[in-house]
Amino acid sequence: MVKTSISLSIALCLSFGGLQLNSAHAKTFGESSLKGYRIPFVKSQVDTSEYNAKTDTIGQMVKALQKFKNAKDTINIREASAVPNLSLQQIAKGHLAGLYVQEPNGEPGTEQSMIVQGPSGILFSKKDVYALQPAVYLNGVPLVADNPFAFDVQKYDYNRVGPANNLLAQINISNIESVVLVKDPFELAKLGPNAANGALYITTKNAKAGIRDISLNTYFGYATAPKVNTVNGVYENNFRRPFYEKYGNQQRYDDYALYLRDSTNTAYFGPSNWNDLYYKNTPTYSADLGITGGNERANFRFFGSGTKNAGNADETNINRYNVFFGINMAPFKWLTVSSNVNAVRLDRNRNKSLRDRFAETRYIPDLSTPLSPNKDNFGLYLDENKKNVDNNRTTSINGNLTLSSKLNRFSLQSSLFFDYNEGIRDYFTPSTLMDGVSYISTYFGYNQRMIWNNTIGYDFDLGDDHSLDLEVGHVYQGDTYKYNYARAYNGPNDYVKLVFVDPGAPGDSYLNALNAGNFYVFRYIDKELNNLLSFYGSAKYSYKDIFKLNAMVRRDGSSNGQPDSRWMTTPAVSMTYNLKDQLFAGSSFFNQLELSAGWGRNVRIFLDDRYAAGPQYRSESGWYEEPTIPGYGGVLGINRPYESGFIGYGIKLPYADRTNISLDGTFLNNRMNAAISVYNRNDKNQLVGVPVPLESGYSVNYKSGLEVNNKGIEFLLNGQIIQNPESFNWRSSINLNYNKNEVTALPDGYKEIINGDNRLEVGKPVTSYWIYKNQGIYNTDADVPAGHTFNGIPLFAGDPQWADLNNDNRIDTRDKVMEGNRLPSLIGGWSNTFAYKNFDLNFHFFFATGHKILNQYQATKYDFIKREASNDITSVKEVSSWQSFEKEKTYPIYNPWSDVNAYRVDQDLFLEDASYLKLRSVTLGYDFKNASFLNSSSGKFRRVYLYATALNVLTFTKFTGVDPELSNYNGLYDGANLTIPRTFVLGLKLDL
Amino acid sequence: MNLSIRNIKIKRALFGLTMTAALLGTGASCSKIDDVPSTRLASEETNWKTLEDAKANLMSIYGLMRSATVADNGHWLMGDLREGDFTITNRSDLKAVVNNQLNASYPVIERVSNWRRFYAGINAASLFIERSSEILELDPRYTELNNKVDIAQARMLRAYAYFYMSRIWGDVPLITSSHDGDFIKTERTSQDRVLGFATSELLDAAQVVPFRYGGTDPIYPGLYYGGGWSSWNGNVWTRLSAYIILAHIAAWQGNYIDAATYSKFVLDNQSTQYYVDGANPLDYINMDALTENQNNYSPFAYKRATVMVGFPFEAGNGLSTANGHIEQLTLASPFIPKSKPEMFVSKDSIINIFTDPKDLRFSKDLVSGYYRTNYFYGFDSELPIFNKIKVLYPSQTSGNVTLFSSSMVFSRMEEITLLRAEALAALGDIDGAYTALNKACNLRGIVYSTQNSPDVIKAIFDERRKELMGEGWRWYDIIRYQRLKRSNAPFAEKDGKQLTFKEFEDAGGIYWPVSQAVINANSSITQNPYWL
Repeated sequence: MVKTSISLSIALCLSFGGLQLNSAHAKTFGESSLKGYRIPFVKSQVDTSEYNAKTDTIGQMVKALQKFKNAKDTINIREASAVPNLSLQQIAKGHLAGLYVQEPNGEPGTEQSMIVQGPSGILFSKKDVYALQPAVYLNGVPLVADNPFAFDVQKYDYNRVGPANNLLAQINISNIESVVLVKDPFELAKLGPNAANGALYITTKNAKAGIRDISLNTYFGYATAPKVNTVNGVYENNFRRPFYEKYGNQQRYDDYALYLRDSTNTAYFGPSNWNDLYYKNTPTYSADLGITGGNERANFRFFGSGTKNAGNADETNINRYNVFFGINMAPFKWLTVSSNVNAVRLDRNRNKSLRDRFAETRYIPDLSTPLSPNKDNFGLYLDENKKNVDNNRTTSINGNLTLSSKLNRFSLQSSLFFDYNEGIRDYFTPSTLMDGVSYISTYFGYNQRMIWNNTIGYDFDLGDDHSLDLEVGHVYQGDTYKYNYARAYNGPNDYVKLVFVDPGAPGDSYLNALNAGNFYVFRYIDKELNNLLSFYGSAKYSYKDIFKLNAMVRRDGSSNGQPDSRWMTTPAVSMTYNLKDQLFAGSSFFNQLELSAGWGRNVRIFLDDRYAAGPQYRSESGWYEEPTIPGYGGVLGINRPYESGFIGYGIKLPYADRTNISLDGTFLNNRMNAAISVYNRNDKNQLVGVPVPLESGYSVNYKSGLEVNNKGIEFLLNGQIIQNPESFNWRSSINLNYNKNEVTALPDGYKEIINGDNRLEVGKPVTSYWIYKNQGIYNTDADVPAGHTFNGIPLFAGDPQWADLNNDNRIDTRDKVMEGNRLPSLIGGWSNTFAYKNFDLNFHFFFATGHKILNQYQATKYDFIKREASNDITSVKEVSSWQSFEKEKTYPIYNPWSDVNAYRVDQDLFLEDASYLKLRSVTLGYDFKNASFLNSSSGKFRRVYLYATALNVLTFTKFTGVDPELSNYNGLYDGANLTIPRTFVLGLKLDL
Repeated sequence: MNLSIRNIKIKRALFGLTMTAALLGTGASCSKIDDVPSTRLASEETNWKTLEDAKANLMSIYGLMRSATVADNGHWLMGDLREGDFTITNRSDLKAVVNNQLNASYPVIERVSNWRRFYAGINAASLFIERSSEILELDPRYTELNNKVDIAQARMLRAYAYFYMSRIWGDVPLITSSHDGDFIKTERTSQDRVLGFATSELLDAAQVVPFRYGGTDPIYPGLYYGGGWSSWNGNVWTRLSAYIILAHIAAWQGNYIDAATYSKFVLDNQSTQYYVDGANPLDYINMDALTENQNNYSPFAYKRATVMVGFPFEAGNGLSTANGHIEQLTLASPFIPKSKPEMFVSKDSIINIFTDPKDLRFSKDLVSGYYRTNYFYGFDSELPIFNKIKVLYPSQTSGNVTLFSSSMVFSRMEEITLLRAEALAALGDIDGAYTALNKACNLRGIVYSTQNSPDVIKAIFDERRKELMGEGWRWYDIIRYQRLKRSNAPFAEKDGKQLTFKEFEDAGGIYWPVSQAVINANSSITQNPYWL
């Protein structure tokens, strides 16, 4: 067993005592030849070459951070820093080619997903989303993410238990120097198994030498309330009328929804003005301060910030406090020590939706009376909600300590990286909101990662034309994931909001809350370790400035692999050829032109330690509605994992093979840069549950062998289109990614696999829908072909006409087709900055197209008969459903009482084009640094930038719901997620 | 000069030190990859080693079987709705079951018609039968007798699963070993063979299991897994349980000679659990125990010896659940905060079923003039609440916490006595049948006689309908009744055609369809012909 906690505390001590790493290109970044504007990648290349030549001591160790010299795909930090984004996902959205960011919820601080160059695996459940996320490196620390194992004890997977804060909301853009999307096969192979899904490499602004440097950034603004068309019971009655006119009978009229019967009831038929209390213009603000100073032998940076990011609905917001401290020291000429620590606290105010509450409490009270659309009634409900306790706190600390030394041609580097974050949730809801039963839950969980990395390099002296660097290294990574979660019902009253213990009880039983008061307590504890050990050797060879060859081989061992296959050796290679010097040496058009190609393999490690164990026994004896039955007769039982699926021997570690070819050039006197690349990635040996005869007792059998291919083409163009330092400038950058995804193999030679409502088929996208084709309605019984059934149920007038694709006169799963993709095929972004003298105007568009949504919101709305008849989580009617939407489609009036489930969501009737184009942000700014009134007073300001930004300005889409981004991982749009607010801020950036 | 030499020395020393540290770290880390045992599961290396493993694995078979029967309230959906006494208020899926639309497209119907949940229990039982003896060599605390008794329980549970399934689906694949890690495709086996297997397994097991665990039963004297009889009664199955299941299999097959013998064995041995070893006795229960959670006898609210075959949900062990209990379907205000129950027994049905004015379960109390509320609350209202079974956390009869603790009770004294009456009646022992029948309803305020109930078979089934209402029996009782009666009256209708019970049964109509998921996963499984 690894005592990583001890090592962690050592690391903490060291880093507080300590020191920090520098990013060299920060220095050159500050002074741009283009007055006020710059092209970061062009600059960074220049930086890089400059940097390579450097031998200064502090600069040496920056090597660790400067891994991505060839990366073109970076975010323009200067443009992005004027946009009041909270999370890394929001910052990166639409700025990086091949990175698809979906913000499924406008609620601040909620989890968001990123997918780089297409999905590498299945997306059957919420858990799978976690396995597709790219690694995020912060100053070289691969940040540890929440582990989805907590879903094992959840009945509903809308949110992970605990605070469910977006851990990537911890990074403040004001402290970021660069964000690089790493897609190059060689570089990813060098990063190792963490980066199997790609990587985002973030370097913060760092300590550097020079005179004191202070920057202050602040903004204030509002997330604005949207305009909504509210409706009341009249609308609902009108909506229902045609169904009753067509299919009603006495009994059906008798069962008419009670709350809609009495039109004099002002709760449902009075003014519908719930939105006054629900949607509000909410202030959103931030302030931060960064100080850098020191000399060449010792320097530091401090950064502190406080941010409140607000949503516009349901009083949702998140507070973030961030402190960063970094130091570099060179006690000897040959030794440099650097360290930094980044600490964050996130406090989130969550929504008060019924669905999320019931999902947490796993307790569905009587739902026959929905929330009233009337402000007065709804207000009473909100008043009761004030008794709630809902603390969602994440505290995170991460950092590194690096020692680099150089002796002649040897260099040695030893680094310690750590990341620890803990989440706490205290939740209480009073008996008045749950039919007389109060509910309490507490959650404490942490994720911890500890990395020790050592490298030794040797730089051969081969004359002027040749250069060869060798490096060998070793990385040990230890991850620990843990949570304690307890739920309790029926506290003694609504004032006791904690599970209390009985201090008077004898012995150890004083902690037994079960006997205290009337609490009925359920407890869940889980912990998992995941260790990774790697060795690698790499070589870099270059011939003049013409040809570069990188090659490496690494061996990784994961404790989550099965004993006979936990080690794997993987190679990677890349080549770069300088075409400019070879073909266009004399050309003045090209400044640079390079062709590069690479191939690399990354091991992918399992997030769950179950696969390492082979055939196993777990405590799984519940059923769909009650998944966490603890045992029988007071004994915690163990049995084979019948519910979750058999795990046998012979499970191999999955891996990703990447090939990449790119051509990039800089031309027109460094004003334009373009890059085009094609990639091909095969994610092989992945685990998937294959169907087994259910008479075995198991739901599925996990087998290695799922192979998913993603191939695509990317295009990047950055340019200073109009360059006129004294008057008008126009800078533009475009990124595009086209991705094609398909399943290329399934385990055991299967051609198709059905898993619940999902199906995988070789040759089809892994995220394809599997749906019935709807061809209209049977208007009369006579229209139904004789003997035509839906799964054996005869069809009648008012039932949908589904296509009988195999012509067996019976509609069943064999008539479902694979159609539409949940993920887009073409994504991109377009950013423009216009500048005139000290003014500048930036706007940023991004788009996604080629994907579809299943509109579950409408399916549920039309299926009101069954929804209201069943008292389960899908029957919940939120207050926000008292509205109608502009573009809302009308669907055929089927018989909602029919046993064939006419409004089933898995049919193309509800499939919609989800393509969109969004104007993400507009910023107008003015730099006062040359203003005479400032210069006359102090003359010290480097930048005094006042700006106004509008965020989420416009959306162009054919989608008929509110926003095509608000669909869940499975492509279902359920209308339950809060809308992404339109936010306006006024901000100031001060550098001195 | 001195300084620089010193500098170089320090430099070299440090350099060497760091290199050494790096190498040491590398060596030490290897074991960190190979030696990370999971704390979240038991593997082949850790299971089947100790006494505790035997206990945990055995109890899980009970747990899986409990889940199989009650999941999605399946025990009641399949037992009480078809041709049953309940009227559905709103739920379309329940209405479909009542209307015999068993292939209707609803998630709950799809799930209950999937038999995987039973096969999970069967597989766990087979695995236990095959593997548990490995512990004998490794843990001296685990005795041969203990192991034999455990295996016998596993065989009993597996046999019960096959009987339970074949009542629902008719022919089901008979799988008698775990085929651990091997996924074989099996066809359906004829019901006769399946029940034949179950019968022989139960007969074998019955020779091994004791009448009491953890008590003074000479078959298994002393504590059982450290617990006495009062902690095990109602939880684990005894020799009486084996004979009850045997009697039911025989009755289902029309073999009433055996049914009479087996049920006689059970009734003759009531004394083995009657006031012994400090536990509450096995006995017929009065109205308070039946409907008011009376502490010593209630089979629903507590785990008592009165649960002869069944599965408790003990609140104290964190087993109260929302789903898996009849209360979720039948209770409403004023018992729990819910405006309408999901199903109820209509006024007309109540009057038709409870005809005896002295019946304590339901009748008008002649003294007070009010209707008795033991079974039905608010008889005068539009929706009388069926409140016979009402066990709210922990064992209240009403409250706000809609987590229920009622046991799934398959058989209790009244039930097996009525089965004995049925067997005797079928065999022509009319006097014996009346005696048994009146023994069963002795505490219900009514007496059956040739005068008030000349058709003894009908009287027995009428009494079952009343006594066992809401216990998942109705549909299977109707089948046995119809088989005994061989009536030519129309029983069901299919495609506009009237069917007698015989025709309906021959067409496979008494069975449920198998879910499409089962057929998709194993192509050798055929759909019940009635549901094609």
